[in-house]
Amino acid sequence: MNRRVVITGVGAICALGHDARTIWQGMREGRSAIAPLTGFEKQDMRVKVAAQVRDFDPAAHFDPKKLILLDRVSQFALVAAREAVAQSGLDFAQGDLRQRSGCVIGTGTGGEVTNDECSKRLYGEGNPRLHPLSIVRRMMSAPASQVSIEFGITGPSFAVSSACASANHAFAQAFALVRSGVADVALAGGTEACLTLGVLRAWEAMRVLADDTCRPFCKQRRGLVLGEGAGMIVLEDFDHARARGADILAEFAGAGMSADAGDIVMPSDLGAARAMAAALRDAQLSPADIDYINAHGTATPANDPTETRAIHAALGDHAAKVAVSSTKSVHGHALGAAGALEIIAAIGALRDGVIPPTVNFIDPDPECDLDYVPNTARETPVRAVLSNAFAFGGLNAVVALKRAA
Amino acid sequence: MSDDSTPDNVRQTVFSIIAKEAGIDESKVTLESTLKDLEIPSLDAIQIIFEIEDHFKIQMPDRDPDFDTESVKGLVETVEKLLADKAANPPLPGATPPAPPAA
Repeated sequence: MNRRVVITGVGAICALGHDARTIWQGMREGRSAIAPLTGFEKQDMRVKVAAQVRDFDPAAHFDPKKLILLDRVSQFALVAAREAVAQSGLDFAQGDLRQRSGCVIGTGTGGEVTNDECSKRLYGEGNPRLHPLSIVRRMMSAPASQVSIEFGITGPSFAVSSACASANHAFAQAFALVRSGVADVALAGGTEACLTLGVLRAWEAMRVLADDTCRPFCKQRRGLVLGEGAGMIVLEDFDHARARGADILAEFAGAGMSADAGDIVMPSDLGAARAMAAALRDAQLSPADIDYINAHGTATPANDPTETRAIHAALGDHAAKVAVSSTKSVHGHALGAAGALEIIAAIGALRDGVIPPTVNFIDPDPECDLDYVPNTARETPVRAVLSNAFAFGGLNAVVALKRAA
Repeated sequence: MSDDSTPDNVRQTVFSIIAKEAGIDESKVTLESTLKDLEIPSLDAIQIIFEIEDHFKIQMPDRDPDFDTESVKGLVETVEKLLADKAANPPLPGATPPAPPAA
């Protein structure tokens, strides 16, 4: 059985805003939320900028009994999931919908805030007593568990982890559940709360962070800028959605996955191209159908030319015509949540006919020769979109979306 | 530690860190080599810089145009300059990282 799968709800939180509509508005406007890193003033950080979620008050979202169970990574996931479910109009109490629903959530680092608190007590304070809820807060699957509990979802629910491709791999798994008929509805997305001292110091040591801002595909790019947040979508069987008169935001047409099986950090254009080609095949789309690619576009020296070559390899002659942009220039690189924020750009482009720009763009890099929609959004009809995610370790996942028919 | 800061020893230590981290024979490392010539992949290069920083208790610049950290000569000169700066400006007693706050 191969059923059509559609998106009927979307929710998100990131540095650009605390809901998907505000985030999409920020992407369209090219309003970069990258700013000086705050909260580490005493630490003499080498990392100077980040895309932090600001003015987030967990107590406004969760009662104290609930909040004590939640790492920041689960708080983000729940805020995004509530928004997505509210938009979908689904009522999980109806019929057997709870059993017919699943939940798949990607995260690259899991409960790092809790991890950091544990380390501080153990090593910093010499205190061997850790909080009794440390394990349930920090386990990688905590966001999936918390979202399933929130909505009473009792079908297949689990976490997916593939570093910066986690959200797209989660979408691919959730899509498979609905397409195959295992579930009628799946909540899917990615979440990350990685801006802790330990994680920041580890990224500093890799020397891939920009000290100014994120400038994907341009000659002056100096590396990636870390971000945080979560994005969630409601995937639903097309007939199920139509029967209840749901507003269909986009069709989830296909997914493609591959592994480079090469270097642990250097990306491979062949691996990336194979994932893009697999997504096109899975979606039964040809390169000429694609009007927009939301690129992985991290702005590291290695990613951007490699991804450019991959797009040439996967799309052939059409590569020169397709609009490509990296919204990481406005919301930073949220690692396991990256694809979940970027699907907002994909859905927005399909619905509004607007391609969000790659901002902070100065001069073109001869090694990056595609149309990156520099600095200003472009109005143009968009029929189908690819959204790329290529992780450290060579794990690639690409999703293909079509305009709701 | 103080012996390390003589020019010969700085050079020797940097050479041996490069050889050890890259898994190459130390005799292959010369002042004239670049990390590229030595076929040192980027992941090994950042480990070399990490070990140099750890050994000399310094912080190497990150893509600063005034410093060349791509060549062996550049690495040695950068370490020498940072050691000289450190000797000229010893850290103040109060400049140690603050103690972690009590819970």
